[in-house]
Amino acid sequence: MLMIRTLPRLFARTLSTLVIVLVSAFFITRLAYRNPAVMLAPRNADQQTIDAVAHALRLDTPWYQQLWYYVYRGPDIQGAPMGLAHWPPALGYSFRHQAGVTDLILSKVPVTLSVSLGALVISAIVSILLGVLAARRADSWIDHTLSGFAYGALSVPTFLSGMLLSYFLYFQLSMHGINVFPGSGYVALTDDPLQWARHLLLPWLTLSVAEVGMFQRVVRASMLNVLGADYVRTARAKGVPEWRVLLRHALPAALNPVITLGGLELAVIMGGAIVTEQMFGLDGVGRLAITAALDGDFPVVIGTTVFAASVFVGCTLVVDLVTRWRDPARAV
Amino acid sequence: MSDPALFSAPRLQAPVIRTGLARILWREPSVRIGSVLVFLVLLAALGAPWVSAWLGHGPTQQFRDVALSETGLPVGPSAAFPLGADDNGRDVLVRTMYGARISLLIAIPSTTLAMVIGTSIGLIAGFFGGITDRVVSQGIDVALSFPFVVTALSLLAFNRGADGQSLINPMLVVIIVISFFSWTYFARLTRGLVLSMRHLPFIEAAAVAGASRKRIVFREILPNVAPSVLVYWAVQLPNNIIAEATLSFLGVGVQAPAASWGNMIADAQRSSMYQVQPWFLLGPSIALFITVVGFNTISSGLRNVLDPQRL
Repeated sequence: MLMIRTLPRLFARTLSTLVIVLVSAFFITRLAYRNPAVMLAPRNADQQTIDAVAHALRLDTPWYQQLWYYVYRGPDIQGAPMGLAHWPPALGYSFRHQAGVTDLILSKVPVTLSVSLGALVISAIVSILLGVLAARRADSWIDHTLSGFAYGALSVPTFLSGMLLSYFLYFQLSMHGINVFPGSGYVALTDDPLQWARHLLLPWLTLSVAEVGMFQRVVRASMLNVLGADYVRTARAKGVPEWRVLLRHALPAALNPVITLGGLELAVIMGGAIVTEQMFGLDGVGRLAITAALDGDFPVVIGTTVFAASVFVGCTLVVDLVTRWRDPARAV
Repeated sequence: MSDPALFSAPRLQAPVIRTGLARILWREPSVRIGSVLVFLVLLAALGAPWVSAWLGHGPTQQFRDVALSETGLPVGPSAAFPLGADDNGRDVLVRTMYGARISLLIAIPSTTLAMVIGTSIGLIAGFFGGITDRVVSQGIDVALSFPFVVTALSLLAFNRGADGQSLINPMLVVIIVISFFSWTYFARLTRGLVLSMRHLPFIEAAAVAGASRKRIVFREILPNVAPSVLVYWAVQLPNNIIAEATLSFLGVGVQAPAASWGNMIADAQRSSMYQVQPWFLLGPSIALFITVVGFNTISSGLRNVLDPQRL
């Protein structure tokens, strides 16, 4: 009953956030790049070409017409408009890449998703194991070591842990003739799953370090909460084996805050993936966004911004729905 | 009624409470450890010019004839160059110490700016509620969903003039960009606190006693929000130190030749010279790590003491 009333409001809010992000991203890029046509036109282009690009992007019209044009219609490419209102909907056209922005992003999504989802799965599994262990042996040396590790891991920026990992695991190992990890590059999952995993191991490790550091603490705190409950004592008194008490009785109840955080962390990991892609030479959405932002390719900047915002807002929405579904009383 | 003891008693208590707080804080081990680390960083930042003068190496001065070998490789640690040299023959120790200055000069103002903006917006949203609150919440949602690196890159491109020179001091732009991305956390925190406080008896008592809105916000609510907000300042500071280092690492923060840990690490990676002279990478990395660990440790200690039930 509550769901029926709140669901439309939730979706409306998500949608309005995305629309505002799109419009503000448009204005930010309009302010940031003074003369995008010059940046987008080929090097040493004559004034005529620059004017043609400016006209194709409608840069010679007032801002409200530009916004309308960008969002609704888009430039005509091979006779078909590339706007949101046309099929297939597109967030504009990149003159630098000579392709629709939506197609560009979709072609890079597999890389970014492989990096972030892999890192999320790895860090979730490792954190749950370590967190349960730390809660089981609270205040032991294992617990203290893990808490120290959490501090350390949170204090290393992604770019630094990436560099250190590639120095020790790639450079030092290959110096000694052990070529376990490739330095960079990407192999599609559909081409060769083994090579895919091998090429992504270092990025996954890079992103997981900080995540595991914090995640395992959350699992530990949540487990400690649950382990004090009466039903856990009952289970132990019944003679249920300890591992079963931990994994089957306590863990499911302890996972609620973990799921909430996990959804939000996926968005954080995808943000961190921007830097990681850049470091390991992975051709994903993050790299596309960075080059576009530096080159003044504003349709791509807006497109990737909206893409990142959708991921963030989408994760928040899913977390919200899952929390409501699992525990309607506690939903905020 | 006119017994002076009745009136002077609370005033006498105030300093007692204050020394008590400092003592309680100092009893917390993480505050002690963190303070020592942060003190070392401050010492490095303040002492940079002296060490620079003592060694005779400026932060951007190049000593290609003594600091680079005949093949152009940077020298390792020695008496003249305690942490060795970088690929341009500059002193890594001196640059690392100047890096501490840059790091703090960017992170502290940007966190403070974010705190002031975020707290004001949170106060307004929480206190007035209704449509104001909805607009502010929507604004927070939007600001949170912007990807930091991408937006920061395009905002920093804004600062590049037609001839490639920066229009305003890039440090100022970095400060503004970082605070643009961290005010939301302060606003959310403050808004939540104000909402939970708005209908507590002491606020209603003040309203009934005829206090103006201004007085209620500034004299009743703000002092009760302040401790949490200040603790959060300490939580956010190390994040912003990392944000500055990341932007400088990507080449859009503090511009070369000024020394920032981020661009030193980027230098080390770009030239690959850290493979010959590891201190080129380790110097700024360890400094960055110690600084962030130090502030993280202090802030978790502060949180334990001042704000035990939250987070």
